[in-house]
Amino acid sequence: MSLLAYGEPAQSSDTDSTAAEAEADVLVDFTAMLQRQRQGDCGGWFGCDSKMQSAQSDQGYYLEQYVLGVLDFSSQYGIDYSISYTATNVIGRPTKFPAYGDYPETFPMRTYGDWWQRAPSATREIQPQNLPKLETHDYVVVYFEEFVVPTEVAIFETFNPGAVVRIWAYGLTKHWTCLWEATESDLARPPLDSRRFAPALKKTTMVTKTLRIDFNHSRLNYYTEIDAIMLCGRTVSKTQNLLAKQQRTQQSRTLLSPPPEVKDSPPSDGSGGPISYKLRTLKFQPNCGEDGASKLHEFINNDLSQFLADNCVDGGERPPQICLTDLPFEILLRILSYLDLKSLFRVGQVSRTFYDISTHPLLYAEISLKSYWHVASSELLCTLARRATMLRKLDLSWCGGFGNVSPTEFKKFLTQRGDNLTHLRLNSCKFLNASCIENVGIVCDNLIELSLRNCATDPPLLNFSCLANLKNLERLDLFQTYFETELLLSMLEGNRKLKHLNLAFCGVSVNMDNVAAHLATYNTQLISLDLWKAHFLSARGLQSLARLHQLEELDLGWCLREASLGDGLFQLLSNCPKLKKLFLSAVRGTTERDLMHIAALGKNLEQLDLMGILNITHERVYDILVHCPKLQLLDLSFCDNIMDRDFDVLADWSRQFNVDMKSSRR
Amino acid sequence: MDVEISLDFGGTRRTIQQAFISCCEQLLEIALILTHESCQFLRRLWGGSGQEFSPNCQEDIGDGSLSSSQYQSHSPRKSAQNRKTGSRILAGEGDYLRHENNIKAQLPRLVSVACGFAKDQIIHSQYNRGKFGEDAWFMASNPQAYIMGVADGVGGWRNYGIDPGEFSMFLMRSCERMSHAPDFMPKRPEVLLERAYYDLLDQKCPIVGSCTACILTLNRANSTLYTANIGDSGFLVVRSGQVVCRSQEQQHHFNTPYQLASPPPGHDIKALSDGPEAADTIKFPTQLGDVILLATDGVYDNVPESFLVEVLTEMSGISNPVRLQMAANAVALMARTLSLNPKHDSPFSQNARKLNIDASGGKPDDITVLLASVV
Repeated sequence: MSLLAYGEPAQSSDTDSTAAEAEADVLVDFTAMLQRQRQGDCGGWFGCDSKMQSAQSDQGYYLEQYVLGVLDFSSQYGIDYSISYTATNVIGRPTKFPAYGDYPETFPMRTYGDWWQRAPSATREIQPQNLPKLETHDYVVVYFEEFVVPTEVAIFETFNPGAVVRIWAYGLTKHWTCLWEATESDLARPPLDSRRFAPALKKTTMVTKTLRIDFNHSRLNYYTEIDAIMLCGRTVSKTQNLLAKQQRTQQSRTLLSPPPEVKDSPPSDGSGGPISYKLRTLKFQPNCGEDGASKLHEFINNDLSQFLADNCVDGGERPPQICLTDLPFEILLRILSYLDLKSLFRVGQVSRTFYDISTHPLLYAEISLKSYWHVASSELLCTLARRATMLRKLDLSWCGGFGNVSPTEFKKFLTQRGDNLTHLRLNSCKFLNASCIENVGIVCDNLIELSLRNCATDPPLLNFSCLANLKNLERLDLFQTYFETELLLSMLEGNRKLKHLNLAFCGVSVNMDNVAAHLATYNTQLISLDLWKAHFLSARGLQSLARLHQLEELDLGWCLREASLGDGLFQLLSNCPKLKKLFLSAVRGTTERDLMHIAALGKNLEQLDLMGILNITHERVYDILVHCPKLQLLDLSFCDNIMDRDFDVLADWSRQFNVDMKSSRR
Repeated sequence: MDVEISLDFGGTRRTIQQAFISCCEQLLEIALILTHESCQFLRRLWGGSGQEFSPNCQEDIGDGSLSSSQYQSHSPRKSAQNRKTGSRILAGEGDYLRHENNIKAQLPRLVSVACGFAKDQIIHSQYNRGKFGEDAWFMASNPQAYIMGVADGVGGWRNYGIDPGEFSMFLMRSCERMSHAPDFMPKRPEVLLERAYYDLLDQKCPIVGSCTACILTLNRANSTLYTANIGDSGFLVVRSGQVVCRSQEQQHHFNTPYQLASPPPGHDIKALSDGPEAADTIKFPTQLGDVILLATDGVYDNVPESFLVEVLTEMSGISNPVRLQMAANAVALMARTLSLNPKHDSPFSQNARKLNIDASGGKPDDITVLLASVV
């Protein structure tokens, strides 16, 4: 389609006076048009909209809007009082697009690639069969000013595009609908250039002004950065709103019950039942000639019996049929244990036998509702509470947005089933309040893992003094969650077996030197420690950390604001020979001497992040590459002493030593 | 000569056309600067157009839409970032006009202007908004408060191959962006300074250097001035011929002010790196007619205070930004001239003499003058 053709609707509207009123609000985006033209994608709004305008010119107008505010996000690179690298940067118009690069005015997330899954602190998902093929690692929930029927969602990606895997919209009926989902091929080879990513959305009549974007980082080469998100669609008048609402409430789905997914169901406008629909989707078109019927008759009369015999389809000669229910109960249980939660609930509706099997407590020893965040509700928790009498591991991450889960119900659930819990993950749970946390502390005293990532609510809820009851913790994750130093210190004292601790973004009130001293005294078995952006760690704290001999992973990104580290890094490296992952992002005081120590002592290093260190030269890089044979990742972004002309050399070394080297620049 | 005009219309209601015309007038005025006849002429012009347009303006503004209404695209924040330098004066006014809709009429408003010179006109021959040499400044307005600030990049870093202006400029731009953030605290300029400083340290691309800074916010709700000051930039509030409020100079020793710093690695300047918590804070209730001068040490070190007070007193109650601009120009020009005069007995050389240091004449430095009048 030519550019002229795209422009046509706008031109015609100029001449047509009635349409012109409706058209006046359209922002003609030529860049986007060109882009669409290049992609050969004619499904954009302009192509399909011309019809709508003439038919319903009085029913609202076409609107393009940028984000008004961020409701929720799972992680961000920057710290939340900052305006650099934070989620709030998606608000408003794009500031950097179409520039491509690592800009502080955009929204990057905390991780990229699969490096964090290869680190010693990696966790295993609870009930991994629940995860979709392209699992969600991070998300952001944004809202806009006006309700629209979405026709296009454009995401302005200004650095390493290709992480968006799903776009959800929150409708008036308080249900999330997936407007678009990526396939493997969508992520295959994203361009290394900024882009306005506007996938073809599912056709919908829902009205929304809240979107959730899901990200999957596994294919990313480096941090992805989002500059802005645009929601395009047609506004609706008040009455239409109500109508739409009524319509949708009639269709509203019940949670996890068997209503077929929209894509499985036959389209309402088409004719015929599910089979003919299936055939149509398979593009099955029997090639019936003129004598097709007679041929078929011939076949049935003469050859069918022979055919059946050959292919052992004939029932008469086979051994008696074994029904699935004839299998031993244990086998069935085993089979069902591979099912995800949704399928499990559906199987229960087949028959009474299956219901009995599918509600067996053993199938509910590990529950994760993380993938079902959009349907998780108090009722679901109630149902699960009846079945999960042997609950060991629970993951309620991301659940409970918009008040779907009440704190009371959660507390009830915990009181009933929480006493044997060993693993509890409540990342980004919006329903948590202080008494919930208190309940966790009282009931779940066998916890080995507690994950409270991103529970920074307003007002801050975590003066969780009852958590001091926990004595068996091996993993504590307080990423992006505020807490009181006193409480943390008493928890550290109580949980001597602690192996993994994440205190990234813990807020400014925490004196990290004290925490480090406590760790060195009480938690000598610590394997991984994440202090990302824990600003109040000084060289003194680093010296304390050097006493943790078992350390395999240490993230000191953006800590240690001092001009010099003293001999802290040397002590650390010589005392912790097992160190596999060391992040020194923007530890500006790192000197050339420190880098020599890394090369000399970091025999086991696999991941090393030296982002933003000014003193590093390419000689030191070579040193490190030669002396750290296990190195896989080396981040040299923003190391200004490595000149642009050295990049070719670096690329050679990267191949030679088989190390993934990052060197992004502004 | 670099002149910058920003207007805060506070409670007044003006149309875009009017703003545009006043802009044109200001440009014209700057071109014909400070000569008596031209001033007379322009005053007539100003008065005439003001009367001509004032009857229309109340009807036009009601729906809160601006010229961009034909594009129904919403851009709630980031306005400060999106400002294009090419059409800076217009863009600036647009911003202030937008805020105007949220501000009640009876609250105090600030009319403010800026003027300044870079020390080295050759290096800094090109004008960048918010920057005079190594000095940087910003003005911002939100429904809660009016915010302005200056920062003076410490020039010593040039010897290390570092542009001293980058630090101060970044700090001011961060302040400007943060003053539009939802969690902005109109009574805590020191928090703004602190956050901007930590934001600077949080840049992946390291920004090295140091600067002094002075930020003041006029809280609209109680018409009180809140200030945070680090180093030897500073402000004066003049009321009926008297200095009623001023910032204190913070110095480690002579010509070495307190400063916010991000030193290059291995360079131990601990003694000179004062955290944002070292900021002096002052709370001062303003009255109508107060005139506020916010300037870097390039002004205070060269211009005798008596002259400053004299100029500021004249500006009491002036809401006409053009007249205010002329006063700012006068101060800046005076500072510039005196700083280059080797025989001038400047406040700087007087202080030096007290400490038995030989530094006669003016002190060549970057000069930034922000002048605001409470009306």
